[in-house]
Amino acid sequence: MEEATHFVLHRAASSENRDRKSARRKIDNAATADYTELNSESKDGLCQQFQRESFEIVWSKIENSFKAILKNINRDAFNEIHSWVLESFKEIKSLGSVSSLSEAIRPIPIAIDAASKCLHAGLVFTRNIEFVDDLMTFEDLAEHLRSQGCHVANLSSLEFSADIGTSGCIRSLLKQFLSSSFDAVDISILSSWYFSQCNRDTPIVVILNDLERCCGHVLSDFIIMLSEWVVKIPVILIIGVATTLDAPGEVLHFKALQCLRLCKFILQSPVERMNAVVETVLLKNCSGFSISHKVAVFLKNYFNNRDGTLSSLIRALKIACAQHFSTEPLSCMLKVFDEQETFHGEQFDFQHQVISACEWTIPSTRGKMDEEGIQKLVNTLTELKKMQGRWSVAVLCLYEAAKCRQVNLLDLLCEALDPDLLASGPLGCHATSTKGRYISQAIQNVRELSEAMFVNLIKSWEKHTIAIPEIHGKVKDLQYILKFENYKRRKVESPIMSKKRSQNQANVIGGSNAFNETAVNFLECLINDFMQPLECVASHEIVCFKNVEKLKAALAGDPRRQIQVDLLGSRRILQCSCCPRDGGILCPSMQDTSIMYILSQEHGDLINLYDWYQSFKSILLPPSEGKQKTKQTKKKKNANEDEELSEVTIQARFCRAVRELQITGLLRMQRKRRPDHLQRVAFGV
Amino acid sequence: MAREESLRATKRITRSASSAPTPEKKSGFKTKKTADLCSPSLTDLVYGDPISLDALLSTFPGRKAQILELIKLLGHLNSPTLPLFIYGVPSTGKTSIILQLFRHLNRPFVYSSFRTCYNPRSFFESVLNQLLLHHRDASNGYSSAKRCDRPSDFVDLLRDALTSLIKRLKGSVKKSMPPQLALPVDGHMIYLIFDHLELVREWGKSSSVLHFLFNLYDNLNIPEVGFIFLSNLAPDMFCSNMSYVEQIPVYFPSYSEDDIRQIFLRNQENQKLYSSFLDVVLRPLSRITRRLDELSPTFASLYMQYCKPISGPDTVLNEDMKRRLYSKLNPHITSACNETFRVLDYAAPEAETSTKFEMKACKRKLESSKKSDELDFHLSTSAKYLLISAFLASRNQATLDASLFDSSGGPDGRKRRRKVSQKVMAQQETAEDDLHTKGPGSFPLERLLAIFQCLSSVAEGSPDEDGGSDDWLGIGGEGAVVTTDILLQISSLSNVNFIVRGGSCPLEGSTRYKCMVSEDLALKVARSLKFPLAKYIYRR
Repeated sequence: MEEATHFVLHRAASSENRDRKSARRKIDNAATADYTELNSESKDGLCQQFQRESFEIVWSKIENSFKAILKNINRDAFNEIHSWVLESFKEIKSLGSVSSLSEAIRPIPIAIDAASKCLHAGLVFTRNIEFVDDLMTFEDLAEHLRSQGCHVANLSSLEFSADIGTSGCIRSLLKQFLSSSFDAVDISILSSWYFSQCNRDTPIVVILNDLERCCGHVLSDFIIMLSEWVVKIPVILIIGVATTLDAPGEVLHFKALQCLRLCKFILQSPVERMNAVVETVLLKNCSGFSISHKVAVFLKNYFNNRDGTLSSLIRALKIACAQHFSTEPLSCMLKVFDEQETFHGEQFDFQHQVISACEWTIPSTRGKMDEEGIQKLVNTLTELKKMQGRWSVAVLCLYEAAKCRQVNLLDLLCEALDPDLLASGPLGCHATSTKGRYISQAIQNVRELSEAMFVNLIKSWEKHTIAIPEIHGKVKDLQYILKFENYKRRKVESPIMSKKRSQNQANVIGGSNAFNETAVNFLECLINDFMQPLECVASHEIVCFKNVEKLKAALAGDPRRQIQVDLLGSRRILQCSCCPRDGGILCPSMQDTSIMYILSQEHGDLINLYDWYQSFKSILLPPSEGKQKTKQTKKKKNANEDEELSEVTIQARFCRAVRELQITGLLRMQRKRRPDHLQRVAFGV
Repeated sequence: MAREESLRATKRITRSASSAPTPEKKSGFKTKKTADLCSPSLTDLVYGDPISLDALLSTFPGRKAQILELIKLLGHLNSPTLPLFIYGVPSTGKTSIILQLFRHLNRPFVYSSFRTCYNPRSFFESVLNQLLLHHRDASNGYSSAKRCDRPSDFVDLLRDALTSLIKRLKGSVKKSMPPQLALPVDGHMIYLIFDHLELVREWGKSSSVLHFLFNLYDNLNIPEVGFIFLSNLAPDMFCSNMSYVEQIPVYFPSYSEDDIRQIFLRNQENQKLYSSFLDVVLRPLSRITRRLDELSPTFASLYMQYCKPISGPDTVLNEDMKRRLYSKLNPHITSACNETFRVLDYAAPEAETSTKFEMKACKRKLESSKKSDELDFHLSTSAKYLLISAFLASRNQATLDASLFDSSGGPDGRKRRRKVSQKVMAQQETAEDDLHTKGPGSFPLERLLAIFQCLSSVAEGSPDEDGGSDDWLGIGGEGAVVTTDILLQISSLSNVNFIVRGGSCPLEGSTRYKCMVSEDLALKVARSLKFPLAKYIYRR
C-alpha cells in the first residue's frame, strides 16, 4: 500500500518524513549496539537508535497484520471471479477450436455467428473513485488467478491512450505473455503463442484496472478486435469500474458493448476496508500502540471529509506511530509489549539499562527512574496491557452489535476513546444527544434484535471474548439463557407457529424482550466495567499518541505557504549579522530570491519585468547613488571599482532568482501576448 | 450456424489429415504434428474443404441473388476480373458469404481485415506473410517474413510474392502430377480480400492508404490477381474523384423480416415452438433493428424466457398455450426493445446457472431499490461538495451565481426564483429540451472553486453537521480551504470522467471544464450530504 502512494502528489508530505528517517537509519546502522559503555555523547544517538528500532519493530507488526487482512478481504469476490472465468472459458471452448497453426494465425474470422463473437467481461466494481487504493487489489486478483493456473496480464489505462492506439495494448499483452518485446506487434502472434502452448486448457485473463481513465475509442477497438479472435485466443476480460453501472456505456462504443457479455462483481467498499484496518491496528492490539480521542476524531474527519483513501489513512497512522516513538521516550517499551505477559528476563534488563541511562521519565508519574520506579513502571504496563485488552474486546462487542446499523468502527471508536464518555452518566437513555450516539445506537439495536440475529451476534461475541475469561463467561451465560428461552417458547408456541406470519413475529419480539434486556444489561455492564477510556488511565502516554497538532502539520504539508513565509521572513530564519533584524528595509546583503519576492509583493498579479529589474538593481547598488546618478554609473561601469557590481552580474542574479521563484511555483511566465510580464500565482500567505 | 459449425468441424479433421503429405502419415503422431506446425502449404490459401453450391445457398437464406451475382462476376476458372466492391450495412453476411463462396470455388485467396491490422505496416506484413506462406511462431521468433513499412516497398514485395506464387500454381497445372501430389487448389488466380475498408478512413494518413489500395490493381498490373473490397459504406463515401479502375459494386441489402425468420429458424431443434416465438418477437424487434448480431443475443435470452413455462418436451403447442406464453413474455419484450437500443449490459450479468440467476436477479432488485437513494461508491465529503458545485457551475449560468450565493446564503435568491418558476411553468419543458441538446455548460476552474467555497461555508453553518469536530474540513480554517488536497480531488473527479476538460475559452485562454454528471447522480450525492441541491438549480 505504501508503494502505491508514490503516485499521488498529496502523499508527498510523508515522503519527506520518510526520507529523513531513512537517512537517520543509514547513519545509525553503523553504530554498534553496545549499551554497557555509555558516555554522554553517544547517549543521544543511542536513544534515537533505540526509538527507531522499536518503531520499526512495532510498525512492521502493524503493517504485516493489516496487509494480511487486506489481502484476504476480497477473497470471496476473487473466488467468485475465478469460477466465473472457468465457466466462461468452458463456454468459449464449446464454440469451437483450432486444429492447426495456420488456422490459428490466419486472420480469417473462424466463426461468423454473432453468438461466438462475444467476449466475456467481468465488471469489477471497486466503489472507490480513488484508484490508488485499488492498484494492489488488481495485483492481488492477478496473483490469485495466476495461482489457479490462468494466464493473466494486467493492463492499465496508460496503454489505452489515444496517441498510441491499439498497438500499445497488444504490445503490452505480448510483453507480459511472451516476455519479450517485438518490433511489429500483431494479435496473430498471441494466437500463435497460445496455439504453441502444450496445455490449451487455460484461459487468458486480461485485467484492466480502470475503465474510466481509458480512451474509449482505443478500448472499443481493442475489444472488437479481441472479440473476432476469441475462438483462437480465449481471452476473458476483467474490467475495474470505479463508479456506477453506467460507466461502460459512457466510455465504450456501442459496437464494443455489443460484443461484451458482462457480469458484475462487487469488491469491499473503502469504508469496509477501513473498518477492517482500524480493527486490526487499533483494536486487535497487535502492537499495543493506541491513539487518543482527539487523534481518532481527526483521523475520522480526515478520512470522511478530506481524502477518503485508505492509503492516506494508513499513512496517517504510520506518521502518528513514528511521531509517537520519536517524542515519547518510554514508548520503546511497546517493543516487547505483546510478547510477554509481564516484563521480565533479559529483554527487560536491557530496557532497564537504557531507561536508567537516558533518565527518561513519564509525565503522569513524575518520578525519577530508579529501581523502584522501574518496577512500578513494569507493573503499570502490565496493568495497562490487561486493561487495553479488555477495553478493545468491549468495543468489538459493541461494534458487532451496531454493525447492522451501518455504524463505522472509527465513529464508534472515537466515542469509546472519549475521556468524558463515562463522566456524562449512563448511556442508553439519551439516544438523541450527540454524545454517545453510536454506543446508544448499538444498545438500542440489541434491544430490538430478532432472535435469529441474536444467535449470530452471540456467536461473534463469543469469538471476540475468548481471550478474556471474565467476559467470555458472561457471554456463555447469555448463550445458555437464549437456548433455554428458545426451548421454552418453542414448547409453548409451537401450535401457533402455523398462524399468520406477522402475528407470529410480533409474538417473538414480545417473547424475546426479556432476553434482549439481559443482553442490554450485559453490554451496559461491559461499558461500565471495562470501557474506561484509555486517557483516564495513569501512564497511558506510553502507548497512546496524543499530539493532534503535529499530525495535522505532517499531513497537511503546505509547502508553498511555508516557502512564502520563509522568503518573506528570511532574516528571521537566517539570523545573519549583516542584515538589520527589524524588517521593512531591504538591503543588498540579503538573499536575492528573498529580495525579489518581497519586491514582487508591490505588484498586482502581473509584474512588469523591467520595473522589477530596476527596483532589484536599485537595491543591490549602494543607496548613496541617487536616481539621477544611475545613468552615469551605467555608462562608466567599466571604469568603476572592483566592488561595483556589473550590469551582467546583476542580470544573472536577477535571472537566477526569477527562475527559482518559478520553480517554487510562485511565478508563472506570461503567454505570448505579453512577453515582458510575469504572472504572480500565489497571493497572500 | 451451429450446424454449419459442426459440419466444418468434421471436415476440418479430414482436411488436417489430408493436408499432411503421405509419407509422414506412416510415421508417428508426433512428427505429423510438428510437420503440421512447421510446414505451411498451399492449403493455407483456401478456406476449408469445398462445399456444393446448394449447401452454400441453403446456408444463407435470402442471399441467393447476391451469391449468384458474385459467382458470375468472379467468372470461370482462371478468368481475370475487375476489382469487386461489396458493401452493405453491418451484419448482412458480406464476410461470411465471400469466405464460403471461396470455399465453394476452392480458389486461393488472401484475407486481411483492417479490424486486426491497425496500421499500414501490420497490414502489409500480414498480407505478405500469407502470400509467402510464412507463419510467425516461436521458431522464427514471431517475426514476419519481410519487414515492410512503406507502400512502395509493399508493391515490390507483393509483386515478387504474387509472381512466384502464380508461377508455382501454374506449374502445378501444367505438369501432370499424380493426383495425391497435385495442389489442393483450383486455378491460378489469387484473390486479395480486404475487409472492413471503412476503418482505413480513420487512419491518420487515410487518404493516401486508401488511394494506394484502390490503385494497387493498376500498379501491380498482374491479370492473375483479383481484388475484393468489403465495406460497410458505399463506394461514394471513399474518395471517388480519383481516377481508379472502375470497381464493380455489389450491394448487400439488409435482410427482410422473412429472411430473418428463415435465418433464425435454420438451426433450431423445436421448429414449431421457435416459429411461434418468432411470430411474437420478430415484428416489434425488427422495427428497431434488423442486424442479426444485435438480434441474436436478445432472441436467445427472450427464448429462454419464452420456454420457461413449458414443463416437458411433449407439451402440445396449441393456440391456448401460445397465448399464455405470449402473455408471459410480453413485458420482457418491451424491456428488450429498450435494451437493444441502449446498453446491453443489464441483460447480461448472468453467466451462471439458473438457480444462481434467480438469486442474482433478486439481489439486483434489492440493490436497485436501495440504489435509488444511496450512492454506490465512496466519495469523501469535500469531493461530494466539489461534484455538486461542478454540477451547479455546469447547469446554472454564471450570471446567476451572485444571486444564488450572496452573503446571506441564498434564501433571498431562492424566493425570487420560485416566483419566476411558477409563472413560466409552461416553458419549463422546452427549457429542459434545450438543456439536453446543448449539454452541460463549461466553466473555468475559478468559478468552480468559488461555488465550492460558498457551498462548504453553507454546510459549515448548518446545524445537523456531524457534531464534535470543530472544523468540518479537518485541517485549517476558512482561509485554507483551497489547498492542494482540493485540487487533487478535482483531478480524481476528472479521472473518473465526472469533470471533463472542455475546450479553452478563446477570450481568456484558460482551460474550461464541464461536469458530465447526470442530475440523478448529483441529487443522490446531495441527498447523502443532506444538501438542498434542488433549491440551487435554476429552472426557467
